[in-house]
Amino acid sequence: MFRTALLCTGLALAGYASAAWLTHDFQVWTAEGARRLEVALRPVATPDVQVDGPGVARQPLARLLADGHTVTVVDFIYTRCQTVCLSLGGVMQQMQAQLRQDDAAEGAAPVKLLSISFDGSHDDPPVLQRYAARMNADPALWRFVRMPDARSSQRLLEAFEVVVVPDGRGDYEHNAALLVVDRRGRLVRVFDYSEQQLALDYARHLAGQP
Amino acid sequence: MTMSPWLTRPRMAAAALTLLGLLALPLVRHALEAGMTTHMLVQFPLLALCGAMLAHALPACWRARCDRWNAYGVSGLLAAALVLAVLMIPRVLDLALVDARVEAAKWLALLACGAALRVSWRPAGLLVQGFFLGNVLPMTVVAGHLFQDTPVRLCNAYLLDDQVRLGQWLVGLAACVAAGWFAQVVRAMMRQGGAAALVTGPASPGSR
Repeated sequence: MFRTALLCTGLALAGYASAAWLTHDFQVWTAEGARRLEVALRPVATPDVQVDGPGVARQPLARLLADGHTVTVVDFIYTRCQTVCLSLGGVMQQMQAQLRQDDAAEGAAPVKLLSISFDGSHDDPPVLQRYAARMNADPALWRFVRMPDARSSQRLLEAFEVVVVPDGRGDYEHNAALLVVDRRGRLVRVFDYSEQQLALDYARHLAGQP
Repeated sequence: MTMSPWLTRPRMAAAALTLLGLLALPLVRHALEAGMTTHMLVQFPLLALCGAMLAHALPACWRARCDRWNAYGVSGLLAAALVLAVLMIPRVLDLALVDARVEAAKWLALLACGAALRVSWRPAGLLVQGFFLGNVLPMTVVAGHLFQDTPVRLCNAYLLDDQVRLGQWLVGLAACVAAGWFAQVVRAMMRQGGAAALVTGPASPGSR
């Protein structure tokens, strides 16, 4: 009986330890929650991938994001999307409207928006241009890019832990979110797209810091 | 478990290893892990079955050594309950797809879970079995309801309708196991006359 009690204690401890490890001390239960927590604790550098888009000559994404004074709110989209990307587009439109008001006010912190398409073979610059026009995007505030090379697309998705799942009907499901990238091109925080005000305020706060 | 004369220990071990090898084939593994429902309700039980078959093939002297650490099957059922609880954390499914260490740990845990159930179920008797199921089944139902009701995807790698389907299956499965076990309890009590069956367990060797 003593041995059984001893083994049970050991098993309970092992179970507790593995659950604590999996859930970051019982803070998160899903991979998405863990990703957001891990990004907040350890910012992720932008990987070395090439992007292009309407008004954006082919260049490394890091150069586009890390210009030294702009904080960027990034989202991942594909233009054929009829569901979550549309609401994400609406969120970005509202943020753009708020940023316009910022611009009108003096001394506003520089925050910009960037939509990255993960469907690079379909979403070439002319397609993105049409999509941007449909979204009433102001190129000074909200730009669109894609990765022409599928492998580098995969690399960026992996680094930023964006998981894209084909749903078998020609569409994709993906963990849509608002990603805040700081002036040095590091992904520093991931917000749910329902938390747009929080994401924008956080980006403004970052941009306002000396 | 009644043993057919041809189902000797080595044959059982060989069958278990064959099944394990099949499941480990990249083609089969990826096919089963492509869906949330097949991942959790086909691959998980098959791995546990391999574990149970391997435990069945253990020589009697090993079993006796195990039993000293497993009075009334308590350690084994606790281990199984813990494995099932940890594997119901949604992050495990996502992590198993991208992290080979987690995938390996998942396989070992499920083999151990099946083996533990095999060696512990009968020694446990109906009382301890009831305690085990009384913990595991409500946990399964709660997880199943969560999978059905949450409007967001709990696993980044799986689709929402797959998650809902898995939730329905988990609730249904828990209900079936509960009903099946209860039928067995009633049968044992009718055979042995009342509450004595609860402690001594079902007499018939044909039961699980």
